[in-house]
Amino acid sequence: MNPLELTLGIMTAVGGFVDISELVFAAKAGSTFGYALISVFFIGTIGIIVFSEMSGRVAAIAKQPVFNLMRHRLGLSLGLLVLAGSVISNLITCAAEVGGVALILNYLTGAPYFLMAIVMTALMIISIWVLPFKWIERTYGLLGLVMLVFLAALVAIHPPWGQIARGFVPQIPAGLSTKELLTFGYFCVAILSAVLFPYEVYFYSSGGIEEGWGPKDMLTNRLTSIIGMGLGSTLAVAILANSAQLFGPANVDPEIPGTAALEAAIPFGHWGLILALAGMFFAVAGAAVETCMANAYGIAQFFGWKWGRHKKPWEAPRFTFAWIALFLLALLIVLTGVDVMMLVELAILFSILVLPLTYLPLLLLSGDRKYMGTNANGPLAKTLGWLYFFIITAAAIAALPLFTLTSGGNG
Amino acid sequence: MTPDSMIKLVSELLDLPIIDSDGSYCGIVDDIEFEGTRELKLKALLVGPGAYAGRLPGWAMALVKWVAGDRITRVPMDKVRTIGTAVKLACPAREAGLDRSERAAERWIPSKGAL
Repeated sequence: MNPLELTLGIMTAVGGFVDISELVFAAKAGSTFGYALISVFFIGTIGIIVFSEMSGRVAAIAKQPVFNLMRHRLGLSLGLLVLAGSVISNLITCAAEVGGVALILNYLTGAPYFLMAIVMTALMIISIWVLPFKWIERTYGLLGLVMLVFLAALVAIHPPWGQIARGFVPQIPAGLSTKELLTFGYFCVAILSAVLFPYEVYFYSSGGIEEGWGPKDMLTNRLTSIIGMGLGSTLAVAILANSAQLFGPANVDPEIPGTAALEAAIPFGHWGLILALAGMFFAVAGAAVETCMANAYGIAQFFGWKWGRHKKPWEAPRFTFAWIALFLLALLIVLTGVDVMMLVELAILFSILVLPLTYLPLLLLSGDRKYMGTNANGPLAKTLGWLYFFIITAAAIAALPLFTLTSGGNG
Repeated sequence: MTPDSMIKLVSELLDLPIIDSDGSYCGIVDDIEFEGTRELKLKALLVGPGAYAGRLPGWAMALVKWVAGDRITRVPMDKVRTIGTAVKLACPAREAGLDRSERAAERWIPSKGAL
């Protein structure tokens, strides 16, 4: 197996785990609750590995991406409702990523935020137009690996590894007031939502079809989902642990994405800061491309259009119109001047609400022996799949009340 | 064919993606047309926003009609090769009348600049 084949998983995971929402939520989780929320990242990571592997397997065997399945299994009316929810959630997420990229460039160069948003949207549109799918995933996936500087920073500050290890055990920190307990609950739901963002699975399964996966690629799919998502999760946990060690004791509340970059600046100085901002820039730009393409994949698949970036843009014209229009709409949202952090919070809320209906059809089809033959879900995939379906359904039910009661985790 | 299996057939066919003989997606089975009185037989697949009627609430259908029109394309069953996780056609999308929207959109996209 060519190691470059892992880049689909790396781009999916880096764009999914260390996008603008994780940069803020992981850092805030660490500074507010120490290492206690590592377990939620761990639980969410197993969930996203289970569903990614399932979606990749269905793409390889049944040759169907998630939205085709969704419409067939949920029917037209419910399917349209899920499509609308997903499009809104992905669009808000994409706008948050575009705003995030512009913000990071603003930190790096001092150039005006709105100008950077326009320039970056144009560059990202050009990159999708020019590069075939394989090169899109390799470019954004490999450049996103600069984020490893956060892992190096964690090692460099000699954290209490024992406490980090204990963070993997589910727990509720002792001595929290009712208000703090609710905030803790909101963080659990928000982290699960951010880790299991549906766009990751839309992008991953469509990517598998873009790459022409077949039955021979089962091992590639399994390794790509485990290594890719595992790497993304490790980076997110590193950001959380750095924050718990550096920001928590100093009562720093990392409310803006740029604060996370200081985690690398403290041990490595000037170059640490530059590398952290560069890594964040590539990861968030990758997430913007991922959310935009995932949205266009969903629309094209739901209505049966030609789709894919293994085709030239003019060979799938409606799909091309869709991703360009979605990027421009995301830019338009940013240009209204809405706060990036508000977009992040809304994206997380919308995502958790559509999660159960996204994963249910996938779960049903991947277990259907008529379509999947001997590659249908085994006992482990079936058990974990249903367990996670119930977890995300419970999280979806709790999301809105917790969001309202805690003002989006702000107490 | 028993009533049960007939219901199953329809539920399994509706909303399946359609792939033409060149391997390209070219629509979704939005509705099904039958022929016969005592023993129903599949006559054609109906594709296009006009075929959503009866499957969506009235207000939603009015919205679909306003956004996407109400065109329906009939694909006779003799143009269908296989039915599985997708409906595979025995002919290219053009021959089944399923490429009009793609061709209309194609005119607006410059065909250069991509690797």
